[in-house]
Amino acid sequence: MYAKNDKMIQLEQMNVLNDVGGNMDFAERLKTLTEGAKYDVACTSSGVNRKGKRGAVGSAEACGICHSFTADGRCISLLKVLLNNYCEYDCQYCVNRRSSDIPRASMAPHEIADLTMQFYRRNYIEGLFLSSAVLKNPDYTMENLIKTLALLRGDPYNFNGYIHVKAIPGADDALIRKLGTLADRMSVNIELPSEQSLTHLAPEKSKSSILAPMKYVKNGITQAKEELARYKNAAPFVPAGQSTQLIVGATPEADSRIVHLAQGLYKNYALRRVFYSAYIPVGNDKMLPAAPTPTFDTGTGLTHTAYGPILLREHRLYQADWLLRFYGFTAGELFKDENENLSLHLDPKCHWALRNLDKFPVEVNRADYAMLLRVPGIGQVSAERIVKARRVGKLDFTNLKKMGIVLKRARYFITCNGKMAEKINMLPESIELRLTDNHSAGPYGQLTLTDLAHA
Amino acid sequence: MPSNTRKQVDVVFDGTFEGFLSVVHAYYYDGILPRSIQCADEYQPAIIQDEYFIVTSHNNAKKVATAISKKISIDVKRTAQYAFLSSPPDRYDALFQYIVAGFKIGHTIDNHLQNEIVHRVQKLAREVGREAHRYTGFCRFEETTHGIYYCAIDPVNHILSILANHFADRLMNQSWVIHDKKHHEAVVYDGHDYAFVNVNADQPPPPMAANEKEIQGLWTMYFNTLAIEARKNPKLHRQIMPLRFRNEMTEFKN
Ligand code: SF4
Repeated sequence: MYAKNDKMIQLEQMNVLNDVGGNMDFAERLKTLTEGAKYDVACTSSGVNRKGKRGAVGSAEACGICHSFTADGRCISLLKVLLNNYCEYDCQYCVNRRSSDIPRASMAPHEIADLTMQFYRRNYIEGLFLSSAVLKNPDYTMENLIKTLALLRGDPYNFNGYIHVKAIPGADDALIRKLGTLADRMSVNIELPSEQSLTHLAPEKSKSSILAPMKYVKNGITQAKEELARYKNAAPFVPAGQSTQLIVGATPEADSRIVHLAQGLYKNYALRRVFYSAYIPVGNDKMLPAAPTPTFDTGTGLTHTAYGPILLREHRLYQADWLLRFYGFTAGELFKDENENLSLHLDPKCHWALRNLDKFPVEVNRADYAMLLRVPGIGQVSAERIVKARRVGKLDFTNLKKMGIVLKRARYFITCNGKMAEKINMLPESIELRLTDNHSAGPYGQLTLTDLAHA
Repeated sequence: MPSNTRKQVDVVFDGTFEGFLSVVHAYYYDGILPRSIQCADEYQPAIIQDEYFIVTSHNNAKKVATAISKKISIDVKRTAQYAFLSSPPDRYDALFQYIVAGFKIGHTIDNHLQNEIVHRVQKLAREVGREAHRYTGFCRFEETTHGIYYCAIDPVNHILSILANHFADRLMNQSWVIHDKKHHEAVVYDGHDYAFVNVNADQPPPPMAANEKEIQGLWTMYFNTLAIEARKNPKLHRQIMPLRFRNEMTEFKN
């Protein structure tokens, strides 16, 4: 079917896939296996509170802790690494696919365990995010993941910190169950937002092989929660919930389809998070978009990162996702039809508000919390402050400012005691102009740290 | 007690939270009206006219703490504890006014967000919480020749006690020291209990264990590998990972 490289043949013969040093030293293997893992953007350590215990190392904080930030502004909280990158599969979007010309390496369970402990004791990390390429077959790969986590959780390591593990589509339910008792969070990545794209670009995977383990994990979580409510000592199962990742821009699906898909996943699979990853070409593949050529602006003398638009699109998807999870929006409200994309120059909440100007302005002293949340520029913190403060007195614009509420965008959509901040023309075009009047900030002008930090 | 019979003085206390609560107690029971409140460490006799030293009383502090929880709210007590750890010179004055207002108004005090004192104290508390939270991630320990893990920090606020609590739980079975270089203080944990000590400004860092450099190298390499070239964004990076934290962080030092 494909040419195995010498290394793989040698490994298979020796059947010692677990402790491979080869001629790469440890640092080189770590580098290779980090390269292979880094396009999975999930790096949150949130969702579960666990105190430390005597004889064990580590604890977990539900709010998550960022330990550092990469030069591209993403939170680092976990040691994110592959057990190995010898992949049997050939998913076109993936740097580890078998046809990709990259160095291959693997790590033994004890090497992963040792490294995790060394990093954890120095407070570099919150825990481990372990995944693996498909080595031999899904079940065999899962067994290796289980072996590694069991080692780390057991004597003498007794690791009690956070573990996120990626389950392998197509693996046996029993293995998923076992893995789920060792990890805090599990993810199965959907990657491509439609079945056609999947068939086209990831021929060895199918929608059902991905959704089946997700369903299984979901049921497992529900069951574990019920048991935990009844007996204190019931075994936890994926206590921090499950997540998935969608690649954006590799295939033609519009944002509308992506956001509807995410909504379905939150609803039907009780996912904690859906992550979006702007497609960054990894190797020149003819089936996928090529890397954009950077453009040189003679006016400013700057080279523009040609990835700007796709990264901005990714950011808009996170904003829309945020609206689904915390602001009470539905996907249907954000899009007119299934081929629509999110606006690049307005954030999705502003965009929605401009389409629904008949619902504005809202009176700050009366509007309910849910409606306040829908005002552009008012987030959860501001909405909570308003609701609290108006219990003890009427609010005017000066009060709002004193309370630390940013009115830059909100001013066009609210009244205080029936008055607007200034006389403005309530026409969509005129407001839109004011909202986007921020050229100097460039495409990242509206990035909010919370969105990105947990991206 | 009507305020005209009160003695207006510049209060100095020992710098502990109990000491501060003793000041509040003195206001209600000893007729003391603080014109300013300072802790002994920062006390500058030159600008103080009528200094009045409040002796810390464990019992009085406890009474005030209980009264805050019961008559105002548990949230207010927590806000006060955090704001107390902040650093502006007038923090104690603001906190004092906040607590006095709390006793007057009751548990709804925190709804008075348009009130400058309430807003200010809540903001101080949030900043302390935020800085402490960041340091729970940004602290970097080095293994020393004695097998003790050493970490240096340079925080704006006095967050050592919050960090001590966090790491005594997380790194329960190893000995560690967190050294606050800004406030010349350290917390020392021996695997069971921790204690705070003062540290000389010129105290050199302890010598590193033999394999320490190697582990630091692996981490730095890991950190650099994770960044995706096409996504690099220096402006965002500076915003999200401020330079002031980087001085003591392995991946930015090496
Ligand atoms: S199975 Fe996973 S590692 Fe292998 S090519 Fe597909 S996405 Fe990459």
